[in-house]
Amino acid sequence: MEEYSSGDDGNFNSDEISILVKECIEGVIGGTDYNQNKINQWTASIVEHSLTHLVKLGRPFKYIVNCSVMQKSGAGLHTANSCYWDTTTDGSCTVRWENRTMYCVVSVFAVAM
Amino acid sequence: MVEGSDSYLIRPNHQHKFKPTIVKEYIHEILRERLSGVLYDPESVPELTRSLAETVKDKVKNAGFDKYKLVVQVIIGEQRGQGVKMTSKCLWDADTDNYAADVFMNESLFCLVAVFGSYYY
Repeated sequence: MEEYSSGDDGNFNSDEISILVKECIEGVIGGTDYNQNKINQWTASIVEHSLTHLVKLGRPFKYIVNCSVMQKSGAGLHTANSCYWDTTTDGSCTVRWENRTMYCVVSVFAVAM
Repeated sequence: MVEGSDSYLIRPNHQHKFKPTIVKEYIHEILRERLSGVLYDPESVPELTRSLAETVKDKVKNAGFDKYKLVVQVIIGEQRGQGVKMTSKCLWDADTDNYAADVFMNESLFCLVAVFGSYYY
């Protein structure tokens, strides 16, 4: 009978996730300028790729990945999160990225099962 | 006297299931109450964003979704005619977990709130 082992970490590792997400963002909108026609496709791609890579890590977490892209126009943008969970096992990580024409903010929340 | 515990439940009781429509109503009420007539001010908006997240989280927590872990995300931005897009994707148990989101806009700002509920088995 196979024993379920909890593995090396039942805790959320924020640095690793942040590097992974940054790579996903670079891969999708790395050298591009804000384009209203493509924005839907871009955000969907970023979120999809991030989630796929997170799943490949094989950890016992449920994931919520949120991506916001905003055109640079001098306007301000603020985000805040409030979470009701188990602080010992669950965690989140937010990655901010920008280029000449747009800002991208991706938040990953991992909730232990 | 043995007290009943619900740690054996792997699915929520229908009454205790995360109901997106109800949560969306709560979000809508809170946003309407807190943001009507508010102007974007870079000094006070960070605090406002944080406090909105806390308020929405407390409201949903007290709505009786007992075995749910909650994640609330609030985004407030200034309205200057720019384009914004927010997308989310989740890897979870679609039978038990769900989300609710709402948007509020006025002349000077826009506000997006998303609440995600994940069942704790």
